[in-house]
Amino acid sequence: MSSKRLSILPPVSSSGPKPPVHFSSSITIADSALLTGTHQVTVLSESVIHPRARLDSSAGRLNLGRRCIVHERAHLGLVPTNGRFTEAAVTLGDYVAVEVGAVVEAGNTVVGEGSTVGVGARVGAGAVVGKHCTLTPHTEIAAGAVVPDFTIVFSNGMRRTDRRGVAVELKNKAVARQIDVLRRMIPSNPAKFV
Amino acid sequence: MSKRAPKGEYIETDTGNKVARKATLVGTQNIMLGGKTVIQPEVMIRGDLIRTIQASSQSASGAAPNNTAVSIGRYCFLSRGSCLRPPGRLYKGAFTYMPLRMGDHVFVGQGSVIQAAAIGNHVHIGAKVAIGEFAIIKDYVRILDGTVVPPNMVIPSFSIVAGQPARLIGEVPEGGHEAFELRSLYKTVGNNPHPAPS
Repeated sequence: MSSKRLSILPPVSSSGPKPPVHFSSSITIADSALLTGTHQVTVLSESVIHPRARLDSSAGRLNLGRRCIVHERAHLGLVPTNGRFTEAAVTLGDYVAVEVGAVVEAGNTVVGEGSTVGVGARVGAGAVVGKHCTLTPHTEIAAGAVVPDFTIVFSNGMRRTDRRGVAVELKNKAVARQIDVLRRMIPSNPAKFV
Repeated sequence: MSKRAPKGEYIETDTGNKVARKATLVGTQNIMLGGKTVIQPEVMIRGDLIRTIQASSQSASGAAPNNTAVSIGRYCFLSRGSCLRPPGRLYKGAFTYMPLRMGDHVFVGQGSVIQAAAIGNHVHIGAKVAIGEFAIIKDYVRILDGTVVPPNMVIPSFSIVAGQPARLIGEVPEGGHEAFELRSLYKTVGNNPHPAPS
């Protein structure tokens, strides 16, 4: 394995305007992440953005909290096809994980602290997801829906309350460990987006 | 660029792998392909998520660290838009990713996301399937479209699973394992594909 065999990553199409960004100095953002739009993108300390994650601020501001992880192909701030929103921000609290291929639509959508948006899940425009929720893979949260704190949404819309009683500090510690590892693995290039 | 024949859609290696130019392979040095594997466009493989803690037997013997993140057997077929990424968890108080191993003749449908620990031989995974972290899938398993396999699930051989979350809904009938062969499917893609046998 010499240096001859470089990665065959195809070039990322940089279409659309470059949004104004406000990054903390401690974030990790992959070179091939996609940022488009005209509104401000704010990412707080120690968050990780994987390659090919798409942050779209064309409808409104994007606010990511501390220690968020946005996995590959996740799409934050997707503009809904039918709705028109004057205020169309997307806000992620601290310790939010948005997994592979998940979509969070724009329109004052809020995902609360410590919540997980599962693989391929979709959070509709204006939905408010509470703190420490788990959206299992492929679940859809309707536009404007409200999900209370500590809710697990599974099997296409069934809900139950998380009574496992996992200590929040322990969970946050595990996320911090994961971020430590990811920071070493993902070559960060915040300068590209500034 | 010189005036050469136009590049094909796929890169074909000496061992018969057909890798689409539009596939996103991150960390290629940590991805092992067994040969005769097809990787279609828009497939993503996360080879950069390598194991950070070595197994205790290896670190004791001082052997060279094995950094393979994703290993794929022969005659595998990764359809358009699918994503393979190694699973990660806390191990002895530290976070580490673990290698994703895939056997021979594994078909992965369009848009599926695989975070399994191990997948056996002759496994058929449908479209839009999500396989949770550290799932173990044995040989001759059929996973139907849209299934969500929860983390840590072990799927025994010759089973058919479907649903959200995945449940065992049947068994592969006797003689039904012929349908898992992917040799003919391999020939139908590439830069000069053969037509599918009717």
